[in-house]
Amino acid sequence: MSQVIAGQFLNGIIVGTLYGIIALGVTMTFGITGIVNFALGQFMMIGAYAVWHLTDVARLPFPVAAGLAIIIAALAGFLADQTLFRFTRNNLVNGLLVSIGLISVIESAAIYFYTATPKNMDFVLSGSWSVGEITLSRMKVLSFGLLVAVVALTWAGLARTWLGRATRAYAQNPEAAMLMGVRTSALQTGVVVYSCALAGFGGALYASLYSLEPSMGALFILKGVEAAILAGVGNLPGALVGGIILGVTESVGSLFLPVAFRDAYGLVFLVAILLFRPAGLFGGQK
Amino acid sequence: MLLEVDNLTKRFGGLIAVSSVSFRIEPGEIIGIFGPNGSGKTTLLNLLAGLLPPTSGRVLWRDRDISGAKPETIAAAGIIKTFQNPQLFAELTVREHVTIASHLALKRILGPRRIQTLLQPKLAKTELTDRVSRTLRLCRLDDVGDKLAAELSYGEEKMLGVAMALMCEPKLLLLDEPASGLGQEEISNLGHVLRDLRTQGTTLCIIDHKVAFLAEFADRAIALQQGRKIAEGPPQDVLADPVVVTAYLGRRHA
Amino acid sequence: MTSIGLLVPLYLLPAVTHNEVVLTILIFTFILGIMATGFNIVFGHAGQLTMFHAAAFGIGSYATYLAMVGLKLPFWLALLPAVAVVTALSLLVGWICFQFRLKEFYFAVVTLAFAELARLVVLNWTSLTNGTLGLLVLEKPTVWLPGAGVTRIDGTFAWYWLTLTALLLVACASAILVRSWIGRNLSAIRLNEDLAQTLGINIFRYKLLAFTVSNVLAAFAGALFGFYTNYIEPAYLSVTQSLDAIAMVLLGGIGSILGPIVGAFLLTALPHAIDLTAEVRAATYGAILILAILVMPRGIVGFFRRRPRAS
Repeated sequence: MSQVIAGQFLNGIIVGTLYGIIALGVTMTFGITGIVNFALGQFMMIGAYAVWHLTDVARLPFPVAAGLAIIIAALAGFLADQTLFRFTRNNLVNGLLVSIGLISVIESAAIYFYTATPKNMDFVLSGSWSVGEITLSRMKVLSFGLLVAVVALTWAGLARTWLGRATRAYAQNPEAAMLMGVRTSALQTGVVVYSCALAGFGGALYASLYSLEPSMGALFILKGVEAAILAGVGNLPGALVGGIILGVTESVGSLFLPVAFRDAYGLVFLVAILLFRPAGLFGGQK
Repeated sequence: MLLEVDNLTKRFGGLIAVSSVSFRIEPGEIIGIFGPNGSGKTTLLNLLAGLLPPTSGRVLWRDRDISGAKPETIAAAGIIKTFQNPQLFAELTVREHVTIASHLALKRILGPRRIQTLLQPKLAKTELTDRVSRTLRLCRLDDVGDKLAAELSYGEEKMLGVAMALMCEPKLLLLDEPASGLGQEEISNLGHVLRDLRTQGTTLCIIDHKVAFLAEFADRAIALQQGRKIAEGPPQDVLADPVVVTAYLGRRHA
Repeated sequence: MTSIGLLVPLYLLPAVTHNEVVLTILIFTFILGIMATGFNIVFGHAGQLTMFHAAAFGIGSYATYLAMVGLKLPFWLALLPAVAVVTALSLLVGWICFQFRLKEFYFAVVTLAFAELARLVVLNWTSLTNGTLGLLVLEKPTVWLPGAGVTRIDGTFAWYWLTLTALLLVACASAILVRSWIGRNLSAIRLNEDLAQTLGINIFRYKLLAFTVSNVLAAFAGALFGFYTNYIEPAYLSVTQSLDAIAMVLLGGIGSILGPIVGAFLLTALPHAIDLTAEVRAATYGAILILAILVMPRGIVGFFRRRPRAS
């Protein structure tokens, strides 16, 4: 029995890192542009479908396809920023409504081009590793590693590079940053594009592990927002941790409580945090 | 006795904004509170109006403890505060502002019967329109009645704040720096309004920088420094008090 | 009130045209217009963006049907327990949100979370709701008419007049509310909450009132919708349903009486005017929502109407 729990625990961590990468995008976007990009789930889906199309239809090797998918997601993000999000900076309600409108558009496009039938990719990395009686597919472990690496690199980038420090400075004090010559509109666009690229990357990995449906975007953004709020919006490493906590709670929880209410855990967390600890579990440090 | 402030303290983390302040206000008085920037004047008013909960101490209104009560409860009790930086309703006209401010008065006049006004709007209308016009005239705003709040000058915005406060029929009116930012003519206008209020018997508590302005109207003055009360008494005495002079002007003048 | 008067000639429309499509579009317009009018009260006037109305819509639908079948009540009496349930839920959710002073965005997110929880409950309580399969509604509302006695509301004409009357009553009630001191106070809350408080307006109570009224109207609309389409399913409580109402109000014009109805009409008629597949329709909805926010913040009615000077 404990093997089952351990297995679910590990699965939860892996799903949780996917939630975490979206949460990271949500938190970064909020910190720099002042809105929550509810359409990030759609950019994840764009990455996922792009990878599927490039590997299954265009027959490209996975790393190439993944790289291209990230670029596609980033470009889509750039387009969305220039046409839409640019006009809703720091307006949470408008940003919410606009990104929700965007969701309809992108999701409908996905259904139109790919239909609602789930798509599955061929195995990228087959085989699995076993510890005791727990088996994990190699691809899952690789994905976990890659996602954590990307989050770590992002964090390091923000701490070490000039661009990263400028970003953090802007998040803390927009006016001061402007006065010091930081090109704020470029920075804001850059963050939107980066978070969409992150989402696309998550989508590419997701495609290698699970089956794709157009509705995946809606699911992941909700989890991403839940994880971000759970950790404390603005806390970058916390976003990943929040995602993992959420993923594990859902996986282990569904062993003991009805699976149907799996999605409810995140919702209950969300409400509880917003009511009692609005700054999140780890506070609001940027 | 109308209002009693008893050892009121407000702490923001490590910063003590108001420190064990105690004083009383008698009906019909005009109290002037002054002090340098950061002395806790605005915080004190915010505490009295219920916009901030006190860290410790009490506020008693007619012997009833109202410490920590919600702003709308305190307003209903008869304590109304104006804002230093005028707070307005962006899309509405001056007249509409004053009409909204009649909410409390309407409640008092009609009580539960005001539900009737939903179907018989005329019931409340005439009473209201008269009051609104009277208040606008009192505050010298009658010629800008139909202007949008966004179109007003700073002085007019401040007078609108006073007008809205008056519509609430306050027993105690807390004025937060009513004269700051006003030109000579506007200050003179404000002076007229305050004198009219005094004649009507409204109790006033004014905080301001302009010591001369306060000295002209206040019956009693209270000086604050760094959150503590350092002097109290007739304005001329307080202004001459060496402690106060040091606090305000520095050692040299003491 | 004059704007409501514009709707009265619509009673005569069935005498002019028997076109089923046109009349059906209008029936849906009237029903969804009721929900949109409710949303306008809580968002357009009180300024609170809620995502709970779809849950109220769906629960109103389910509860009315279950009360009718389970308690053997006629439609109009069955509405009462449904309204009671929705009122209780609104008070609960509203109390939680407003007691904790949730603002704007966070209020929207928490109401969304509660609505999703409601949907999950409805989806999984299969013994009561039949889950994803939904409920087939064969019963009809009945009305007592002088001369004809008790008549079933069946067929396009009957539904047309019933829903138009319902909408007119709701619109009138909404107008009365909005033009009264209650409406003034709601606007005050929307425009400057802190100032409203210092003027003695109890923001907790007013927000709760607006929230509850909005949800009750959505529930009423839901009941009519379910009985008209003969089918009730968990998707009624989905986020998309909430967004439709938001889109209608934003497109038609926040804060006006006619605005939500115009918006409801446009968004209902659009898929029929242009023959669209479901995906393109959804995409168009999204595009319209975006356009409404960015280009026409006051909606169509606001765009054409200059702000009237109050006297």
